[in-house]
Amino acid sequence: MLSSRSTATAQKNTSTAFGQYSFWATLGRWSFILPLLILNLIIVIIPSVFGLLLAFTDWSGYGPINIIGFENFNELFQDGVFFKSLTNNLIWTALFLTIPIAVGLLGAYMLSGIKRGQIFFRVAYFLPYVFASVVNTQIWRQILHPRVGIGPILADYGITFLDFPIFGTRETALFGVAFVDGWHFWGFLVILYLSAMTAVDVELYEVARLDGASRFQQFRFVTLPSIRPTLVFTILMITIWSSLVFDYVFIMTGGGPANSSEVMGTYLYQNAFQRFDVGYAASIGVMMSIWVMLAVAGFIYLRRRGWEI
Amino acid sequence: MNRKSVFVILAVLMLLSVGAASAQDVTTVTWWTEDYVDIEALNAQLVEPFNAAHPGIRLEITPQSALDDAMRTAFTAGSAPDILQTPGASFIGEYVNAGLILPLTQSAADLGWQEKLLPWAYESGILNGELYSIPLTFESMILMYNKTLFEEKGWTPPTTYAELEAVAAAAQAEGINPFGYGNSGFQPANEHVVGVYLNNYAGADNVYAALTGEKSWTDPVFAEAIELLRSHMADVNWFNDSLETWFTYGWNEQWTALSTRESAMMIIGTWGFRGADEFFGETTDEWDWTPIPPFSENLPEYNYMLATGSTLSVNGQSANTDAAIAVLDFLFSDPARVLEIASGYNYGEFVVPLKFTADDFPEGTDERIVRFYADFGAVTDQGRVGYTTWTFWPADSDVQLWQEIENVWYGEMTVDTYLANHQATWDEARADGAVPPIPAR
Repeated sequence: MLSSRSTATAQKNTSTAFGQYSFWATLGRWSFILPLLILNLIIVIIPSVFGLLLAFTDWSGYGPINIIGFENFNELFQDGVFFKSLTNNLIWTALFLTIPIAVGLLGAYMLSGIKRGQIFFRVAYFLPYVFASVVNTQIWRQILHPRVGIGPILADYGITFLDFPIFGTRETALFGVAFVDGWHFWGFLVILYLSAMTAVDVELYEVARLDGASRFQQFRFVTLPSIRPTLVFTILMITIWSSLVFDYVFIMTGGGPANSSEVMGTYLYQNAFQRFDVGYAASIGVMMSIWVMLAVAGFIYLRRRGWEI
Repeated sequence: MNRKSVFVILAVLMLLSVGAASAQDVTTVTWWTEDYVDIEALNAQLVEPFNAAHPGIRLEITPQSALDDAMRTAFTAGSAPDILQTPGASFIGEYVNAGLILPLTQSAADLGWQEKLLPWAYESGILNGELYSIPLTFESMILMYNKTLFEEKGWTPPTTYAELEAVAAAAQAEGINPFGYGNSGFQPANEHVVGVYLNNYAGADNVYAALTGEKSWTDPVFAEAIELLRSHMADVNWFNDSLETWFTYGWNEQWTALSTRESAMMIIGTWGFRGADEFFGETTDEWDWTPIPPFSENLPEYNYMLATGSTLSVNGQSANTDAAIAVLDFLFSDPARVLEIASGYNYGEFVVPLKFTADDFPEGTDERIVRFYADFGAVTDQGRVGYTTWTFWPADSDVQLWQEIENVWYGEMTVDTYLANHQATWDEARADGAVPPIPAR
């Protein structure tokens, strides 16, 4: 009986001690992450919530803020320029999910077979990525200039396909800007894919070669499946970044001519900083956020379906 | 520690406390300006003389890139400068509506600013009966041309639309573009030509009537003006050699074209004086300017479009408003100093709209520039004035004007729809009280 009471008391004491220990341990663990959480709250969550709320106001950027419900969104869904911007963002995404990825994969695969001088090419490919967008755009503005660029020079030799104002023509302005942005971006993909490819087990290639696989078949059945997590990650990031594209379009065409290269980012800027309609600009920002959330949701869905990404 | 050491320490402490007290007595006035200014020159020409003349005030001018964005953020954070420099009068309405600007009416009366400033420039800062801003610089639109080319070809600077058409035709016959201009890097450059066609075809009286709400922008006379511009841009290619090149020509291209005879003329603001010497200095050709002729026979005389560039106001939330007003008064009270500063920009910037006389210009000033300011004063004194879009249009209407015009040029939007959309933005601005001050005509 005594023994039984002692055991119960001991259990109670242990439980209390364990409980106290658990509380302090939890507090200790939280204290490590708390500064980061507070920082996150101040610089990410509060501005994000504020931005979301602004979409339901008519704020000009100065002075009082009036709540106007869904009026901005009603206007947005009837705004032809917004839908033109959205379409251009979709075209941009399609371009970047195909051409830079294809060229990046090809470049990385070819580089992976080079033993000597690989570093030189890595640096050369990556260099445009570290240059400021202003620098890159000025370089290509001059190269593709209709008066002094490569177009008129080639035209002197009978090659005329570049002899027109690429950034001043509605049909080509968006593609011209995408080309310049893609030129600076693809080297980044090369480095990512090359890093992933160097981690592939060389025995897989040896087995493939013994089975008579060609270089293309090795790439198709060994390399691609092995780097799938990196590949899917870049697809996700490109999808997100394509909704946020701004600097190259803003610098090179400003969204023109006649809105032909307008994207959501430049249209948002115009409404916020030129028309003083911050509320409307915030509603465009909400649409951009929905785009990003859909991309992330798709990524999470694929992971839950068991994809190794 | 001996008595001598104690004495030295006490003396040092007393000196420090006196220094601290002196520092506390000095009021620091902050002024953010555009980042293109030559801050060393501005410090020597304005800041140091002001500080020397006002021992109790210390003026600090700081260049800021993306000035308006920086000020917007600073206002939100409660740390905006004492003197507010905005990109133009159309921005003032937003600030005033938000209660951020100090009314200057009483100070202006006490200090006699109305007598010192050009009348239209003073009135351009009045909103709801109160003076809120003074232009830091004023501009107008002019026709610059390659003088050497004109002389060689026997062309004379056009004074009528018929003469302008004749010169344009003669230039095109020689393979020279009548005008070189474009919006590359600065899409609002579209409004430079839109404004000229509205004023010089429809006429300043009609524009004034539309600005004050007495006439609709959908009036046929404005439609004809915009249609004329569209045809010059898209049909007869007066600007560069095609509509597409408009979007690839910027400051460098348009000046290179004019100075190398690729184009014969350029419709540009007086800020063009800044580029003329630079680009023509690299060639043997000479430039000159002439007033833009009327584009309609119904308008017998040319006029000068009024434009203010940046404006100056006093931050209503500032604790140093008196000191800030003293800075403005120092600037407005010395025309020679203003012209000395402006000479650093070839009179393309910092031309505060004071009542200058020829004697105020520094010796050796370019005769072409003096001629402009003399003629501008004489012509505008007669009331022959037009209106630039970036000074007298509400922000939203202004953006619509220069943005949707591209759709008109490309035939994607009719002139009537363009002007109906424009009128709609004005209706909204009037309802919101966002129309900038329009000087009485």
